[in-house]
Amino acid sequence: MRSTPASPPDALRRRLLRGLATAILGVGLLGLSLPALADGPWQRLDAARSVLGDTPPHTEGLVLDLPLVSEDGSAVALTVGFEGRLAEGDYIERIDLFASDNPSPEIASFHLTPMSGKPEISTRVRLNETQRVIAIATSRQGEQFATAREVRVTVSGCLMRGDDAPPEPLSNARVSVPSRFTAGQPEEVRTLINHPMETGLREGANGETLPRHIVERFRVSLNGETAFEAELHQSISANPYLRFHLSPEAGGEAVFEWRDDRGESARHEASFELG
Amino acid sequence: MSHTELVVWSGLAIGLLFGATGQATGFCLTRGLVNAWRDADTRKLRGFALAMAVALLGSQALVALGVLSLGDALYLTPSPSWLAVPLGGVLFGYGMVLANGCGARSLVLLAGGNLRSFVVLVCLGLAAYMTLSGVLAPLRVWLEGITTLPLPARDLPRLLGLPAWLPALVIGGALAGWALAGSAFRASPRDWLGGSIIGALVPAGWYVTGVVGFDDFEPVRLATLTFIAPIGETLQYLMLATGTRLGFGVSVVAGVVAGALITALARRDLRLRGFDGPQHMLRSMAGGTLMGIGGVMALGCSIGQGLSGFSTLSLATFAALAGILAGARLGISSPLALSKQ
Repeated sequence: MRSTPASPPDALRRRLLRGLATAILGVGLLGLSLPALADGPWQRLDAARSVLGDTPPHTEGLVLDLPLVSEDGSAVALTVGFEGRLAEGDYIERIDLFASDNPSPEIASFHLTPMSGKPEISTRVRLNETQRVIAIATSRQGEQFATAREVRVTVSGCLMRGDDAPPEPLSNARVSVPSRFTAGQPEEVRTLINHPMETGLREGANGETLPRHIVERFRVSLNGETAFEAELHQSISANPYLRFHLSPEAGGEAVFEWRDDRGESARHEASFELG
Repeated sequence: MSHTELVVWSGLAIGLLFGATGQATGFCLTRGLVNAWRDADTRKLRGFALAMAVALLGSQALVALGVLSLGDALYLTPSPSWLAVPLGGVLFGYGMVLANGCGARSLVLLAGGNLRSFVVLVCLGLAAYMTLSGVLAPLRVWLEGITTLPLPARDLPRLLGLPAWLPALVIGGALAGWALAGSAFRASPRDWLGGSIIGALVPAGWYVTGVVGFDDFEPVRLATLTFIAPIGETLQYLMLATGTRLGFGVSVVAGVVAGALITALARRDLRLRGFDGPQHMLRSMAGGTLMGIGGVMALGCSIGQGLSGFSTLSLATFAALAGILAGARLGISSPLALSKQ
């Protein structure tokens, strides 16, 4: 600040400048808040709109965790979880994931039951460019929650590796499930299975398009009753990984089943106690 | 503690040891080559050779004992580019001489108050990410695409049809033998101790990412000491930490700076140093940039390929190493030599 007193024209100019700055700031703030007031990104994606219907979803409660930047778009770690509140007796029944700019936007749909315990699921997804990932959760009583997150995908070039021999599809199912549950205490379960999850969009070494070949459905049943189910699409990474929760009501047997689009399937059984 | 957190803490510990050793012993390939080619003083170069031998024997011992498999290591690419790998090595080697030290050495020097290294590191990290995923990436991917060379085997033992321990013993033994044959080297504990410790950190890194970090469901990428991509990743982490996860590479870089700083403080060896003039600054900037670009093209730096890649006996590593030596030679004594040492 200079110490010389400002002459009247200077003071006027300063007041004008201040007014102008306030106006610009106001318009800027309005511009920032407008997108939040208007449509969420889920309104601009047909696939997401078909899940949402007409009522606008709640924009709080559902949390999507993805890295801001990913150097390997072929396997981006994703976690979706519900942290909001629901009416007594209500629970999250379905979570849908979409990638706005993938060739086919559906990533996966998860169907949960009271036996799935905690609505928190992790997987790895394919993102072919920088884009928004959208999650929509629907409760048993029809409450809907939506959230979106931007992910920057960069080229990974030198990390392309030709596998010597790709493993047999649907082989080597790995399941980590506790052998003992406590009633009302959801426990984490992790599953992984070998599968190319071939998108049907990729060319092989000979220049021909490789036919689509993906795991379409994954189901966990506890004592014969479905506890958790996932519909997977081609945007799920090769060797599909799923982390979710189970909260069984009685001890017994858990059956994990994967089914691919050629009708092949794999099964893993585990028994557990309830203490 | 989850396996990913364990990997990060172990990476920090490995970095601390590297930084402390580097600061106390002056371990440096550039200095070794300059001293050897200009002044016929081979102590520092023998230190690097000993580190190579220890890295190779230690890593191959872990493989032979069945502790881990190095098959997924980045260096063992089945079809490297016959152009990008050696050319990247030449660029890296030349840049290393221009900047008066490689990326790892610059981290150690920075912690000792050398502000020139700060300029080198920022240019290096920026250039590395420009080449890895930024504006130069399409050019690199294109170049690699048209110069791919499918190898008959990914590493030397498989090329010769021998069990891995045999060439490891022969080559490692020869390197260690040459290093220890120098009487001046044997009389200089800081050089042989520095080489042995830094060499041993390579199998330690393989162990951390391959065994401690092993998890079927959430695998950690197999890696060990390497500095080009991790320096770029560290710059990125500083800017985007809320949206990215801390990995092994970044924690090693942070550990090196911290370890060298602690050692410099303990040895009262902390002194601010700057540039002599704009030309000096330009040399450092060019050196850092060439190291960043070359290091990504060659899949590793003097440490990444020189020690870590070498410990896998990958064929691509020999091309990269030959390139680094040729580039350093061009920078030290040739019509292209710009630096005044």
